[in-house]
Amino acid sequence: MTRQEAETILERTFKLPKFYDEQWLTIDKILKGEKVLLIEKTGFGKSLCFQFPAIVFKGTTVIFSPLIALMRDQVKKLTSLGISAKCINSEQTPEVNTQIISEAKQGQIKILYIAPERQENSEWIEATRQMNLSMVVVDEAHCISVWGHDFRPAFKRIINLVKLLPKGLPVLATTATATKRVELDVAEQIGNNILTFRGNLMRDNFKLFVVKVSSEDEKLIWLGNNLNNLPGSGIIYTGTRVDTEIYSKWFEHLKISSTAYNAGLDADSRIAIENGLMSNKWKCIISTNALGMGIDKPDIRFIIHTQIPQSPIHYYQEIGRAGRDGQPSNIILFYNPEDRKLPEAFIEGGRPAIKKYERVINTVKSELLGERDLMKRTNLKQNQIRVIKADLIEQGIIREVIIGRSKKFEFVPNSQPLNTKAFEELRNAKLEDLENMIAYVETDKSRMRFLCDYLGDNSNHTFNNCDNTGEKKITVSITPEWSEKLQNFREDYFPELEVESNGSNIVNGVAASYYGVSNVGAALHRSKYEQGGDFPDFLLKLVLKAFRKKFGQEKFDLVLYVPPTSSGDLVKNFAVKISQVLKFPISHNLVKARQTKEQKVFENGYLKTDNVIGAFTFATPNDIKGKSILLVDDIFDSGATLKEIGRLLTNFGAVKIAPIVIARTVGGDIV
Amino acid sequence: MVTLYKMKKEEATYWIALAHLPRWGHLKINNLIIKFFHENKLSIEEFFHLNENTWRDQYQLDDKQVSDLRQAKTELASNAFLAESFFSQGFEIIPITSPEYSKTLKANLKAAYAPAVLYVKGNKKILEEKSIAIVGSRDASENALKFTDNIAKLASKEFKVVVSGFAKGVDKQALDSAINYKGQSVIVLPQGIMTFSSGFKNYYKQIIDGDVLVLSTFFPKAPWKAELAMARNPIIYGLADEIYVAESAEKGGTWSGVVDGLRKGRKIFVRKPEPNEKNANNLLIQKGAIPVDFNGIELTKSYDSTIAEKVSIVQEPTDNESLEAKVRAVFNGRPLSAKELLTKLNLTWTTQKLNRLLKELDFIEVVKEKKTNLYKLKGPSDTTQTTLFV
Repeated sequence: MTRQEAETILERTFKLPKFYDEQWLTIDKILKGEKVLLIEKTGFGKSLCFQFPAIVFKGTTVIFSPLIALMRDQVKKLTSLGISAKCINSEQTPEVNTQIISEAKQGQIKILYIAPERQENSEWIEATRQMNLSMVVVDEAHCISVWGHDFRPAFKRIINLVKLLPKGLPVLATTATATKRVELDVAEQIGNNILTFRGNLMRDNFKLFVVKVSSEDEKLIWLGNNLNNLPGSGIIYTGTRVDTEIYSKWFEHLKISSTAYNAGLDADSRIAIENGLMSNKWKCIISTNALGMGIDKPDIRFIIHTQIPQSPIHYYQEIGRAGRDGQPSNIILFYNPEDRKLPEAFIEGGRPAIKKYERVINTVKSELLGERDLMKRTNLKQNQIRVIKADLIEQGIIREVIIGRSKKFEFVPNSQPLNTKAFEELRNAKLEDLENMIAYVETDKSRMRFLCDYLGDNSNHTFNNCDNTGEKKITVSITPEWSEKLQNFREDYFPELEVESNGSNIVNGVAASYYGVSNVGAALHRSKYEQGGDFPDFLLKLVLKAFRKKFGQEKFDLVLYVPPTSSGDLVKNFAVKISQVLKFPISHNLVKARQTKEQKVFENGYLKTDNVIGAFTFATPNDIKGKSILLVDDIFDSGATLKEIGRLLTNFGAVKIAPIVIARTVGGDIV
Repeated sequence: MVTLYKMKKEEATYWIALAHLPRWGHLKINNLIIKFFHENKLSIEEFFHLNENTWRDQYQLDDKQVSDLRQAKTELASNAFLAESFFSQGFEIIPITSPEYSKTLKANLKAAYAPAVLYVKGNKKILEEKSIAIVGSRDASENALKFTDNIAKLASKEFKVVVSGFAKGVDKQALDSAINYKGQSVIVLPQGIMTFSSGFKNYYKQIIDGDVLVLSTFFPKAPWKAELAMARNPIIYGLADEIYVAESAEKGGTWSGVVDGLRKGRKIFVRKPEPNEKNANNLLIQKGAIPVDFNGIELTKSYDSTIAEKVSIVQEPTDNESLEAKVRAVFNGRPLSAKELLTKLNLTWTTQKLNRLLKELDFIEVVKEKKTNLYKLKGPSDTTQTTLFV
C-alpha cells in the first residue's frame, strides 16, 4: 500500500488528512509484517500507528495495555469513528468479557484491548484458538524492563508470547518513556530483529518549577493560597494514598474544588473521576501516580508533585500527561529534603528480607499452593508475597500454574538458587536514579535539557521554559493567618474507618487521627508499651471531637469496648470515660471466647481474620437486641477485629454498631 | 546421518500445527518430517514458509494437503497464545526430531505409528531408562492388583521405569506401587496434558522430585475421550521395553491393546491366571502372548496344549530391534519369500507369523510374483527415510 492510498483510507476512516512522516515510517513497516519498537512522546499519535494498520488488516489486532482507563478511552474514540473496538478487563463483569470474547471469535472485532494479565486466563487462551489474529501490539512497552520506572511481571509473559509468534506477523511495541538502557533492554527481549524508531522527547510548552520547602505545612499553605490562581485544571500527585486524602480534605476545608483518586477506589468511582477529569469538573484531582497514564485529555494545564518521584523517568512520565495540546502548562515540583526518605524507604524496602524468600521457596517445595494459602503458611504481607513471587518467577525458581480454575505456585525442579546479586544491582541502579532526581531539583541549568539528556534524547534545542532559564522562581511564605487555617483544619479532620459489609449491621466509623501523622501515635505507644498509664486526656478530647464530627448529636444505647489481648485495662478505662461524657451506658460483657494473639504479629489480613474469628462472645445477649452500639478500640489496622465483633453483635440482634478508635494505621494490608 | 537437535521454543507453534493436521495420520506426517528435516535439512519453520508450489513440486503434496497446511499456517499466531501459556506452566514439547524423544517409542512404533510430538511435564530423563508397562482392566481382581504391585516392585528395584495409563484398577495400582517402592513412572494420558489439573496436584511431590513424567500425545487442551483412551494404548506399549498384562477381559481397551501389540510383533507377558479366574488372560496366551508367574518369570513349560506357537517363545530373538536388524541384513538385493526368510533367519515360526511381522516393517515392501508374496527392502530414497527411526 502506498502512502497516498493509505491516506485516502485515513481520511475516510479516521477523518484525518495525513500522517506525520514519522508515523508513516512505522505504519509502512507494520503493513509489511515487520516488528517495530516506537519511542515517541505523549501526544505524538502513537495509537494511530497501530490503529490504522489494524483496520487495514483482515483479522483482529490484539493490544496489550496495562491501563484500563486508557483502554476505555481509546475504545470510546474508536467506536465513535465506527470502528469495532472492545476491551476485556477485570473491571467488567465476566459475562461482558465472555460476550466480547465470543464476538472476537466470530471475527466481529477489529481492535481488541486486553490487560497482560489476561494471558493467565484459560478462557482467553481457548478463545485465541478461534480468532484470526493479524497483529499484536504491546503498549507501554517499558513495563517489560526492570530498568524502567514501571516494571510489570505480567509483561514478561507477553514477551514470551511475542517470541512465539510466527514470522511475518507484525508486532508494534510503543512507549513514551524509555532511557537508552530501557530501549536496548526492550529491543533485546523482543528480539527477532526488531526495528527501533526513537522520536524527540522534549516538551517545550512546559513551564518547569521546583519549589524548595522545609515542611509539609509550606506545601499545604502554598497550594491553599495559590491553586485557584493557576490557569485551567490539573493533577496533584502525592506520594501516598493517605496524602491524597489529607490534601483533598484540606482543599475541601478551603472550598477549593477537588477530588481524591487512588488505585484502591472501586471501578465505578474511578470511572466517575476519570470522566470528571475529562469534563473539568474539578480544579484539580489529587492522586497517587495511578491516575492519568494514557488518559487522552489534551488540556491538563498543570501537574504538581507534593512528593519527589523516584527517578527522572518517573517524573517525565507523570508530567508527560500535561499539555498534550501544546499550550503552556505549569509543572511544579515541591521538594523538602526530608522527602527523599519516602522513595528511599520504597527502594530499600522494595524487596523483603532474603529469609522471607527462602521461607516462600521452602513452602512451595513442599506443597502446591495458591497465593492466599501461601500467605497463611508464610505469614507474609500480600505485597511482600507479590514481590517475592514475581522475583522467583523471574529467576525461574517457581512458576504459576492453573489447576482447575485457580492459580497455584509450583517449584521448578533443578532451578538455580536465589540470585540476590540481581537485587543489589537493581537497588543500586534505583538509588542512583533517585540521586539523579535530586540533581534535577538542585540543577541551576535548563530543567528540560536535564530531562532530555537523562532520557538519551540528544537535541540541540535551547530551552527557556523553567525557573532556571527565565521563569520566575516560586517561593513560599507563611503568614500567621494561614498557619491558623491549617491548625483549624488539622483539629477538625478525622479519618474514616471503612468496615461496612453485607450481612452485618456495622457502619463506617471514625478515628481521631492517623497513627503516624501526629503526636497521637507517640502518646498511644507510651501508654501501651512504656507503662505510661492511662491514655492521656487530649486523646479523649480528640476522640469526642471525632465523634461529634461523624455522628453529631446521635444517641447510642450502649458503649462496648474491644477486650484486650495484652494491654490491660487501657481501652476499658478509656471507654468508661467516653461513656461518662456522652452519657451512654457502658457494658463490660463483651469478652474473649478464646485466647487470641496480638493482631500485629500477623502480617496479612487472612491470618488476622483467622486469629479473631469466633474469638468473642457476649455474656448477656438480651442486652444487645434492638440496640445501637458505640464500639471503642484504641488502634484500627486491618479492621478484622471490629468486623468480627460487628458480625457477633449483629447475630445477637444489634441494629447498629458504630466503631470509634483513637488512631488508624497507614498502609494496612488489603484483604 | 540425520542430526537430531532440541527444539527451539520458537518452533513450538509449528510443531503443534504439524502434529495435529486433521486426518493425516502419523505416517503421512512422519514422511513429511523425514523429507524436509532429514532429506532437505530444513527447519520446520523454513518448511512452513516455503511457497505452496514448492510444497506441491518438491514435496508432492496434493491439493487437500496443501490446503491443510495453509490452514495450519493461519493458526500459528493462535498457537502462540496457547504455547506461551503451555510453557509458562512448565509443560514441554518434544518433537520426533529431538534427541530427547523416546528412542524406545521410536523403535517400537516406527514412522507408521510414532506421534510427531510428545507433550510432557516432569523429569524427561525418565524416557532414557529401561521401562516396563503394566496394563489391565479398570475393575481388576485382587490377584491382578497383587501381581501389578509385585511387578512394579521388582521393576523399581531394578531401576526400570513403570509406564501406565492412569486409568482405574491396574493402571492406578502400577503407578501408586512404583511411587510406593520409590521407583520412577511415566503416566500416559488419555487427554490433552493441559487438562490434567488434578493429577498435577495429586502427584506434585513426585513430579518435582523427578520421579514422575506425565506424557500426552494429544492436542494439549483436548478433553478426555474414549477414543483418546484407545489411541493412547499403543503409546503405552511403545514406550515400554517389556509389557506385562495383569488381567484382560475378552473385549475392551486392554484386550484390543494387547491384540494390537501382538499384531505388531511385540513380546507381551501375560499373568497366567488361576484355574478359577474369569478373564481372558489364557485367550491372550493362545494368541501368542507369553505366560508369566507372579514374579513375571516366563512359564516355559506350557500348561495348555492349545497354545499354538509354544516353540516360538524360546527362539524368538530377545528383542525386536535385533530381529529387525537381522531381517534387514538377510536381503542381498533379491526379493525373498517368507519361507526363504524363515530359513535364512533360522526361525521356527509359522510363515503366517512372519508374514504378519513383515507387513508391519516400514522398510519392507511386498512384491507379487505369480501367486506368492515376495518381500524386499524399499528403494534407496526410502531407506534414507528410515534413518530418523533407527
